[in-house]
Amino acid sequence: MGIISSGILQTNLNGYILKNPIITASGTYGYNNEYSDFVNVSTLGAIVTKAITLEPREGNKGIRIAETKAGMINSIGLENVGIERFLEEKLKVLKDENIEFIMNIAGSTIREYVELAKICDENKIKAIEVNISCPNVKAGCLEFGTEENSLYELVNSVRNNYRGILIVKLTPNVTSIEKIAMAAQKAGADAISAINTLKGTQIKINCQNGEINKTIISGGYSGKGIKPIAVGAVMRIAQVVNIPIIGIGGIETLEDVLEFFAAGAEAVEIGTANFTHPNISETIIKELEEYVKINGFKDIEELKKELRS
Amino acid sequence: MINEKIKKIYNGKIERIEKVAQTSYYIEINCQVPVEVKAGQFVTVYCSGLTLRRPFSVFSNDNGRIGILLKERGNGTKYLTSLKIGDNIDLIGPLGNQFNIEEKKSLLIGAGIGIAPISFLKKELDKKRIENCLAAGFLNKKEIPINIKVDKIYTDDGSNGEKGSVVDYLDELIKLYHPLPVLKTVANVGEKYCIATQISMEKVMACAIGVCRGCVINIKKNGSIVNAAVCKEGPVFNGSEVVWE
Repeated sequence: MGIISSGILQTNLNGYILKNPIITASGTYGYNNEYSDFVNVSTLGAIVTKAITLEPREGNKGIRIAETKAGMINSIGLENVGIERFLEEKLKVLKDENIEFIMNIAGSTIREYVELAKICDENKIKAIEVNISCPNVKAGCLEFGTEENSLYELVNSVRNNYRGILIVKLTPNVTSIEKIAMAAQKAGADAISAINTLKGTQIKINCQNGEINKTIISGGYSGKGIKPIAVGAVMRIAQVVNIPIIGIGGIETLEDVLEFFAAGAEAVEIGTANFTHPNISETIIKELEEYVKINGFKDIEELKKELRS
Repeated sequence: MINEKIKKIYNGKIERIEKVAQTSYYIEINCQVPVEVKAGQFVTVYCSGLTLRRPFSVFSNDNGRIGILLKERGNGTKYLTSLKIGDNIDLIGPLGNQFNIEEKKSLLIGAGIGIAPISFLKKELDKKRIENCLAAGFLNKKEIPINIKVDKIYTDDGSNGEKGSVVDYLDELIKLYHPLPVLKTVANVGEKYCIATQISMEKVMACAIGVCRGCVINIKKNGSIVNAAVCKEGPVFNGSEVVWE
């Protein structure tokens, strides 16, 4: 059972061929088959793994999750098993179960990113997404994503050590995302994914008998509330680069996906919505395939072309 | 057509929804869950328009019907109590681990709405004819759900049963749940008397299946302190392994 692939959704990201353009976003989908109770993970275009660092990380202390009116704030802090355990334990399941994956990597220094890139290259990891935009860690990461010279240096260093598909994930927490995107392209990125979470804070106030209690959580804001910001970012990036863009931000429905295509995205990543409806990715793939057929398009490329004209 | 690959997501129907205490409700969902649900496990439900599903301990499980107890607290619970008999409800479960049932006399401690999984555990123990005592604490008599069976009641204002907090009366205990000060006290008293305790923890969850690492607590494992996700490694933990904040 599952999705009958007729090839009409096939998506080409600069030579990286996916059976469909629906990808699940880093940090919302685990390392491999964690969602297999809800979907047939191998039918997805790809999953992006939780961000992997050189050493295992424990992540942040305190409250990590808060729901907001139109999404959520997270402050996980890159908790992950580290590259060694990923390769030893998690990779095998991905291969055995035929799950297409993009490995998300994160570090604090250029040296760490280069080290990760080399390991990915040695292990013939087909595609990586470089996380230069995690808002929840103090050193590195986001800093690389907000200044075009350091971003260029970082991406270029990764490029020189990795032969697979290199995707750079951009943060919206910048003055000009276009400049950052151009720097990523110039440095040799094969594709851009945008956007990562926005910096946000929630202060929950509880007053009992005049005594005020505050719970503060600061972190990355995601979910449906960020979609217009993401669509806008993708549209602006599309005007200045010619490498493919993977759109991310608040996608919950087929209509959302079409909107990103219209803005210039070649594929999309679904993140927060996996928490709301863990089978959402598979549902959208089915709906997308139906949409292409019912409206008489030859394939998804033709649909995208029409959406952009 | 039902996709056999898709497990654990159910489109249930509300069969009963009743106010069982001043601010608490009982909701029974017919979702034909084909697996046996164990005491301590939880389900998550989708609340229309909200990003995060809400987790609830299973209170009862008969003939494919899942019963939950909930207290009206925020947007999620307000949405759920607005539903009517016959309304559809999107449910995932059972999730998480379970209480480890042993063939020995067990003291069960529950407080407030945290009585739900403990009450389910009591039913399981009764079925297995394992001697047990459920001691439950509430704010006052209006907060005691009418559909629970308890052996000892404590209320903060003495309006029913003994006056005071249930933890004031602890000297031997085995199973318990919620809220944190009660849990911590139980774990500490257990340690004092060298009694094994199992504690059902609660935390705000996003994925509910262990991937997002949003609901982690610290536990002691092999001499070091590590993260454990309440949704996946829990919600039931040994009292002695929990590192209290």
